[in-house]
Amino acid sequence: MTDQPRTHLDPDPRVERTLTDALGTQPMSDESLERLRAVVAREWRDAVAAEQPISSRRSRWIALAAAAALAAVAVALWVTRPSAQTAAIGSMTRLAVDGLEVRFGLFQHRRLKSGDPLRVGDRLTTRGPLLITLARGGTLRVAAGSSLNIPGSAELSLESGRIYLDIPPGSSAVNPLRVATSAGVVEHVGTEFEVMSDDRAVRVRVREGRIRFLGTTDTIVADAGTELLASPGKIISQRSIDTYGGDWLWTAALAPDYEIEGRSLIGFLIWVSRELGRPLDFADAHARQVADRTILHGSVRDQTPLDAMSNVLASTSLTYEIRGDTIWVRSGP
Amino acid sequence: MYEADRALVTRMRASEQRAFDEFFKASAPRLAAFIARRSALDSATLEDIVQSALIKAVRNLASYRGEAALFTWLTEICRHELADAHRKAGRRPAHLSLDEPGSISHDEEQLRAPPNQEPISQLYAATRRTEVMRVLQSLPAHYALALEAKYGDGMSVEAIARELGLTGIATQSVLARAREAFRRRWQETSADPDYGGSAT
Repeated sequence: MTDQPRTHLDPDPRVERTLTDALGTQPMSDESLERLRAVVAREWRDAVAAEQPISSRRSRWIALAAAAALAAVAVALWVTRPSAQTAAIGSMTRLAVDGLEVRFGLFQHRRLKSGDPLRVGDRLTTRGPLLITLARGGTLRVAAGSSLNIPGSAELSLESGRIYLDIPPGSSAVNPLRVATSAGVVEHVGTEFEVMSDDRAVRVRVREGRIRFLGTTDTIVADAGTELLASPGKIISQRSIDTYGGDWLWTAALAPDYEIEGRSLIGFLIWVSRELGRPLDFADAHARQVADRTILHGSVRDQTPLDAMSNVLASTSLTYEIRGDTIWVRSGP
Repeated sequence: MYEADRALVTRMRASEQRAFDEFFKASAPRLAAFIARRSALDSATLEDIVQSALIKAVRNLASYRGEAALFTWLTEICRHELADAHRKAGRRPAHLSLDEPGSISHDEEQLRAPPNQEPISQLYAATRRTEVMRVLQSLPAHYALALEAKYGDGMSVEAIARELGLTGIATQSVLARAREAFRRRWQETSADPDYGGSAT
């Protein structure tokens, strides 16, 4: 051993090697992280939702004063309220936070709960994430803290926050749904995509199918696995992205319930595959046959797609693993 | 001192999804590594402990006051969860009847080293890790934290500085002193031939 004199900040390579070798660990698998994230996210949303109604005494006084003022305004609005209800674009299917205040008309508002319709002219700001089943087919998922207007039956306007649209291929091709943002308009062509927006920039991520982005300077058609970044008046940039993984977990956590009773295993697996953005493949022909022939019974309500798949496959002779981007289903353990 | 961590928790309590994403990305893999360095648990049990710790954390965000780094606060929760896991394992009988395979509980099996950790090289690595951790625990807490963050979690000096509530230069100095303290203690206590100890 030779001990050379060292400066104060000059690290001893033996020390660095000893520490690096001993302290390095095997990282958690992507699958484990996804599973963990889904569970913790759900707990977090529940905990935050439970905390929200606890308001300070001062807030209660302010709320009382505001309520008194609003009561006076309400009388005036009663006279000016619209005589007919506008068209429903969909219905509330799941709210992480109980009750959602929606504004409409000039100063009117109503409180939405699960099952209530969402109408043209509504303006909402979400406190927790929510899932809306669209009348035209498909779902709209909205992240907490998003502000969204519904100016028409085929148009949404995202002021800020994040939404995810899952429109089944082939639905409403004549009158595509449009999402207006500060930097342009997104038109779907049968697809799953996410839009995140504020007053300075817009990010569009295409997960399946294709979208058309009509920016203020340019129009771009983007396919699955593409991310567009646009700012008002600036050139739109694009890059490739994964259609699976951590960035999409918030959408999986808001996935609609899949009713498995009486439905085929293959149909269920295809649903999981779309929700996770991962291709589905079978390791052997027998596994594929089992998936085609098996009819499911029971329920996977309130389970994330990954948990639902784990539980359903545990009741069959099939198992799965996530290899790279793909869900591999195989016979036996 | 930990304004950024406090702001992150405030944003999480205001239901901001992006804040949760930041929190999870920064905490979960690092907590798993934190546990892995302090135990020989299999991956499923380790995941359970990380999950329990994070769930307790998100349920008790209001109790985080910003007096320590958010990750330090999480590690305290994690230590309790880890201690619970060891306590539960310790309550089970030391000797299990081979005539009653059903008496070997699932948890007991999970707390044993998995078969792929049995070869001698794995055993050597685990022993060495235990020795290194013992030496780290004998150092001042901020030295141990800095060394673990740098060499275990691969964090940058800037990130460690935020966690220690120091400037970048002060953190470099802490790291240098920590390495030197570690070297001296390691030389005294280990039989590492690289450091002049006698191999046994």
